[in-house]
Amino acid sequence: MTFSGSPGGIFPRLLTLLIGVIVSLTAASSWAVSCPGADQEALAWLDKMSRSVHEVSYNGVVTFQRGNEDMQVIQVSHSVEGGTSSEQMTQLTGQGAQVVRVDHPLHCIHPGHKLLRVGADLNTGDCGIASHYRFSVADGERVAGRTAVRIQIKPLDMYRYGYIMDLDRNTGLLLKTQTVHPGQKRVLEKFQFADLSYTGRVPNGAEVNLVHEAQHPHPDQPAAPRRDVNDWTVGWVPAGFAATDSQSTSIGRKTYTDGLAVFSVFIEELGRGIRPGEGVARQGSTISYTRGMNLTGQPVLVTVVGEVPINTARMVADSVNWLRANAD
Amino acid sequence: MTEKMRESLSALMDDEANELELQRVLSQIGDSEELRQTWVRYNATRAAIGGQSVAHLNIDISHRVSAALKGDSSAAERDKQGLSERLLRPLAGFAVAASVAATVVFGGQQLAQLGAAGGQPAISIAASGPSPVGLVNIQGATPVYASHGVQSVPVLEPAAHQAYQRLANQRMQMYLQEHAEHAALNSPHGLIPFARVSKIRE
Repeated sequence: MTFSGSPGGIFPRLLTLLIGVIVSLTAASSWAVSCPGADQEALAWLDKMSRSVHEVSYNGVVTFQRGNEDMQVIQVSHSVEGGTSSEQMTQLTGQGAQVVRVDHPLHCIHPGHKLLRVGADLNTGDCGIASHYRFSVADGERVAGRTAVRIQIKPLDMYRYGYIMDLDRNTGLLLKTQTVHPGQKRVLEKFQFADLSYTGRVPNGAEVNLVHEAQHPHPDQPAAPRRDVNDWTVGWVPAGFAATDSQSTSIGRKTYTDGLAVFSVFIEELGRGIRPGEGVARQGSTISYTRGMNLTGQPVLVTVVGEVPINTARMVADSVNWLRANAD
Repeated sequence: MTEKMRESLSALMDDEANELELQRVLSQIGDSEELRQTWVRYNATRAAIGGQSVAHLNIDISHRVSAALKGDSSAAERDKQGLSERLLRPLAGFAVAASVAATVVFGGQQLAQLGAAGGQPAISIAASGPSPVGLVNIQGATPVYASHGVQSVPVLEPAAHQAYQRLANQRMQMYLQEHAEHAALNSPHGLIPFARVSKIRE
């Protein structure tokens, strides 16, 4: 809004000012009402990040650290050609396995990435991921020789971890992720590029012991019909989590994502009774929560595996039930 | 049990509850068997996670509850003040407050029931018996049997506790790769989630 400098009397200028204030206040308050605390700049970076991971060609070396374990070193490459992308990761330490994914169409956007692209929806009052995390932008560290912008991500409830993500200021590529336990302020897990090139040739000197071709579970592509277990359902997941693939109720796994965190629920029907109980294993930010119980007379083992706090896993496991029992 | 209640319980367990949540649990735990069971179950898990042997998780409410029963209002007042002081402190201190509060509620109800049935004084049940899981020994003093009246609570015996930890470990090995397939497509890290799999299978 501009003010005319003409000496047209103080009243019109006051009026203009007043209108200006009202307009901006109204805009601000409607923004505040629809998505309080949503940081548009941070969300724009998030959007860019989710695109760059598919659309940018790069290769480099990533280090992965959790707890007291030895650092893992991984070579990654991602190339885009003719509307599809191909990627691979090769372990330079440890097992020496390689995971490859070829011919992944660029237009194939999985639910987790859709959840990171909230930009336009914010104005329609759908806050998406901004209602489950608070995002803010800061100056990042230098990572792999690139200047980074830092996105601080704090969970707004107790069902998820926090993250500190450093993105390449030019490309938006995610250079470094620290997963933070919000209560203990402890870093559970850290990925970080040590070396990154957007143009160079992919080095291929590593000895590969095993090649695994990554699968492609997707909501639009129903999985091959298979029947592992009786029809079951997960009655509760934290707000903001969506299924990652089309979920047949007769397959023993269901996976959910909120865009940043992912967890999977597995059910096994047991042939004989089990003493009810629970157990937990942890590695970095990953937990495995296993619970033995009787579901309307049938002994089962429910396991939640994923990068979520234990209480989330516990509550999800608590809500597992047979579909027929739920229908009652 | 409503989702709000589950949230409050979970917050208590994570030591992240605020006063409102604590009040919510306290006001309803007396009326809801489901709530009590859930609380005990959650505590069992936490004990398992902390690697504590469940058998050693005892409860000491004797001086608080007996003071209350004897009508020693000054002691009760002191406790009340202590609790509210702790409530005002941030998260770390709050863990203790929450445990104390829940402990007192459990114990208090049980004592009230026992008192109604047999008119026994509080001190007579202050014996070391089988303890319910998860209730924290605040004072390190006399353990008190504090299950909720005659309700049985699921007790994780040490053997079962270890067996379940082994199960959780095995299941992690079994399932992590299948989980990583989804994490790789639905989190912003590309294929890197596979780095979490300790042994990648073909």
